[in-house]
Amino acid sequence: MKITIPQSDNVYRKNKGLLDILHIDGWLLLGILMLLAGSTLLVYSASGGDINVTYRHLIRIGFALTLLLVFAQIPPNILYLFTPWLFILGILMLIAVILFGDIGKGAQRWLNLGPIRFQPSELMKLVLPMMVAWLFAHSTLPPSYRRLLVGAGLIALTAGLIVVQPDLGTSLLIAMSGLFVLFFAGLPWKIIFGAIATTLVSLPIVWHFMHAYQKQRVLTFLNPESDPLGSGYHIIQSKIAIGSGGIEGKGFMGSTQAHLDFLPESTTDFIFSVLSEEFGLIGVIILLSMYVFVIARGLYIASQAQDNFTRLIASSLMMTLFVYVFVNIGMVSGLLPVVGLPLPLMSYGGSALVTLMISFGILMSIHTHKKMLSN
Amino acid sequence: MHEHLEFNSDAEAFSEKRLFRNRLIFAMFFVLALFSVLIGRMAYLQWFDFERYHLMAEDNRISVETIPPTRGKIYDRNHILLADNQPVFTLKFTREKIEDMDLVQKKIAELLPDFTEERRDKFFEKLKKTSRSKTILLPYSLTEKEAAQFAVQSYDLPGVVLTARLKRTYPFGATGVHAIGYVGRINMKELTNLNESDYRGTDVIGKLGIERYYEDKLHGKPGIQQVETNARGRVLRKLETTPSIPGEDIQLTLDIKLQQYAESLFKNHKRGSIVAIDPKNGEVLAYVSVPTFDPNLFVDGIDQASYRALLKNPNKPFINRGINGKYPPGSTIKPFVALGAIERNIISPNKKIYDPGYFEYMGHRYRDWKRTGHGLMDMEDAITQSCDTYFYELSLDMGIDTIHDSMAPFGFGSLTGIDIPGESKGILPSQKWKRETKDLPWYRGETIISSIGQGYNLATPVQLAKATAILANGGKIIQPHLLRSAELEPPKQIEIKDIKNWERVIKAMRNVMHGARGTARRHGVGLPFKMAGKTGTAQVFSLNESDYEAENIDKSLHDHSLFIGFAPLNDPKIAVAVIVENGGSGSRTAAPMGVDVIKKYLEHTP
Repeated sequence: MKITIPQSDNVYRKNKGLLDILHIDGWLLLGILMLLAGSTLLVYSASGGDINVTYRHLIRIGFALTLLLVFAQIPPNILYLFTPWLFILGILMLIAVILFGDIGKGAQRWLNLGPIRFQPSELMKLVLPMMVAWLFAHSTLPPSYRRLLVGAGLIALTAGLIVVQPDLGTSLLIAMSGLFVLFFAGLPWKIIFGAIATTLVSLPIVWHFMHAYQKQRVLTFLNPESDPLGSGYHIIQSKIAIGSGGIEGKGFMGSTQAHLDFLPESTTDFIFSVLSEEFGLIGVIILLSMYVFVIARGLYIASQAQDNFTRLIASSLMMTLFVYVFVNIGMVSGLLPVVGLPLPLMSYGGSALVTLMISFGILMSIHTHKKMLSN
Repeated sequence: MHEHLEFNSDAEAFSEKRLFRNRLIFAMFFVLALFSVLIGRMAYLQWFDFERYHLMAEDNRISVETIPPTRGKIYDRNHILLADNQPVFTLKFTREKIEDMDLVQKKIAELLPDFTEERRDKFFEKLKKTSRSKTILLPYSLTEKEAAQFAVQSYDLPGVVLTARLKRTYPFGATGVHAIGYVGRINMKELTNLNESDYRGTDVIGKLGIERYYEDKLHGKPGIQQVETNARGRVLRKLETTPSIPGEDIQLTLDIKLQQYAESLFKNHKRGSIVAIDPKNGEVLAYVSVPTFDPNLFVDGIDQASYRALLKNPNKPFINRGINGKYPPGSTIKPFVALGAIERNIISPNKKIYDPGYFEYMGHRYRDWKRTGHGLMDMEDAITQSCDTYFYELSLDMGIDTIHDSMAPFGFGSLTGIDIPGESKGILPSQKWKRETKDLPWYRGETIISSIGQGYNLATPVQLAKATAILANGGKIIQPHLLRSAELEPPKQIEIKDIKNWERVIKAMRNVMHGARGTARRHGVGLPFKMAGKTGTAQVFSLNESDYEAENIDKSLHDHSLFIGFAPLNDPKIAVAVIVENGGSGSRTAAPMGVDVIKKYLEHTP
């Protein structure tokens, strides 16, 4: 690939460093590395000082960072070319999951491709917003209602294929990533408010037509503490972990809730509770500040993007990141219902991290290739 | 490519950029606003509600285990151990940590085949009812082999932990069970009466005898052990400890060797009682109630079959005859009646009464046990030969109330105060008593039979032993007791008008054993000491126990055999009362047993 050196740029200094050569945005990388460093410490602590778990975590981080680097080299116009094909591939794989999927892991539906087990919904987290952005790249913003309708259709199709897996949580989150593209593309406020109002109005009607057992299921979903021995147990233990951390926390490796196995999934979905217990409110504020820093930098990159395709991708990916962070923390603190969802950049685990790092790679590519694109 | 860009006018591009920037700014505010909500939520949990969650986390982490106190041991007067605590293996169950109750139940059945299904079902029913966080012990002692087998499989059974506990054991088994008593599982009624915090971690309580009477002394106070446990209930480390205060060891006045010997005397007779008291201080040396039963059966809870067998035993082993066996005292009360009469100058001790073999009153003949009659009898002869006619006539001169007043100071008709729970009072009749209990006037004919310990008279063996001891010690109203260190009020003294009267009665009782015509003279021969005694043969007029089997009815109709006595005569060290239910005549059955107990005790007591 040929690298074009920017001639005059108020973001990049003339003296070209290693980061420029590698198409890396220094500030974004700094934020990511800080979060990953914190993540490594927390995984070490949450696993009870298990050096093997920590080691595997570091290997995954290394692999994901490599992918970030690789995707940073791919110019956005290449992505643009591949987007429709990736989307079609993604849809086909979702259909394949429904037809031949591996049901072994409950709601998590995997596709067995020989030695690789692959989760197509993970791919769609990236590809759906890219596809919707691709759709609007052809028009000026705000797009016509017809295009908006097509975009909404693509979102509905993708979400629909995931919801039948059945995985309502992932389906809603992926739909959200597509809806953010609509939002940034200039979806009129009246439609946004109209949709919100319609949802609010229709909820009681839907509620009215539900069966008693369905209502019960929804109620337990909304208030897990009504079932303290079943689904409520996790959230109660998580709140105890968070609350008992106080302002200053119990100190590194001081999480009794995690170490004595009261807190479930402490290295994955509930890692935020470990952070809260060990580092207290101060730790929480520092973590959220780092997320704000990364998201703000990402949105800044979006603001500097030169065309609709890249600015829509960059902004929606950052908002998707935000939603994941918000939903995870909201969930473990008992503010939102429990959906199995890792905390981005913090939780132990492979596939979510890989997806996330690829999206950061795309962001960096957008930022460092913008001159080339406009040329 | 990107043709659309080329057709964009600058104005369009500008408005597009402005639209997008506005949306970005909105998005950023949205992010900040929602993160503020999260920080608010965290502040609420970690700042405002910190105390609450801190306590909950500590509560999760720290389990409080009760250290049950070690129950005090019980020794006999010669420091021989009567009730001990032996370490045994058992299993500790915590319901909230048990994942699969059915699996646990199945495993326990496999691992402990000797723990019967009945007891297992009962235990699991109880376990399912106990509060989730509480820990309860299996009422079963594992053998070493069972413990080892459990240890291998314990990983599959979270919530069940092998532990050691102390089990109450009674090395002498059935011997003295009615005095020593036993411990058993705390039942619902007991649970409501006791201080629950003192019994945390303890599941047995004194049920009978000394074990029950001195429960407060023996039990002790539990301690507390704080431990850090993980979510599966495994103890990771120990934190603070408040040690338990063990129960007091207590020493009894009982002489277990004498007890064993006294019980062995009942080999030909199935039912009866012997109480032996040191007349100087009221210490109970032997307390026999037969039949006995093995208290060790009750400690972990007795199985239904064994319990039913004991309950249905026609000889009623559960009756504590020493304190609850109410027997007509028969002729054993004659010395007390006689003493009352001469002390009150109702009759001169030298006055002779002629006994033709019966006493006639109001046209009714009251027979003497000796059909041919005793002839002329003075008071001493009347006691020595147990002449009924003498007392029939005397009784009319005394009247029932004087007989009552003569005997009451010796403890008849009232509680002896022995430290075994549930003592009976017996009956010492009087006009007042009859009016109050039966709402009937007293008939003089009733006085006549009362004078020989029949009629309404009922006394327990402890009462008889106490009265004998008071007679032996010269009127000191001692309180029979089993606890060596019992704190008793100084004994009161019966008012003595003329000490010679006491000496006369005791001389008459000496002649029962050693005189030429004494009713128990056969048993006083060859004794290395002199003793006093009185036999009694109480007629049993009705069958109280309707479920005695038919073949036993004849024997049941036999008279109760009684004997009281003390020795040595010049310095009494032991007073005994013997009752053999349906044993026949007092001189034939009860007297030799009483003599043997006294002999045995004096042989090895300086």
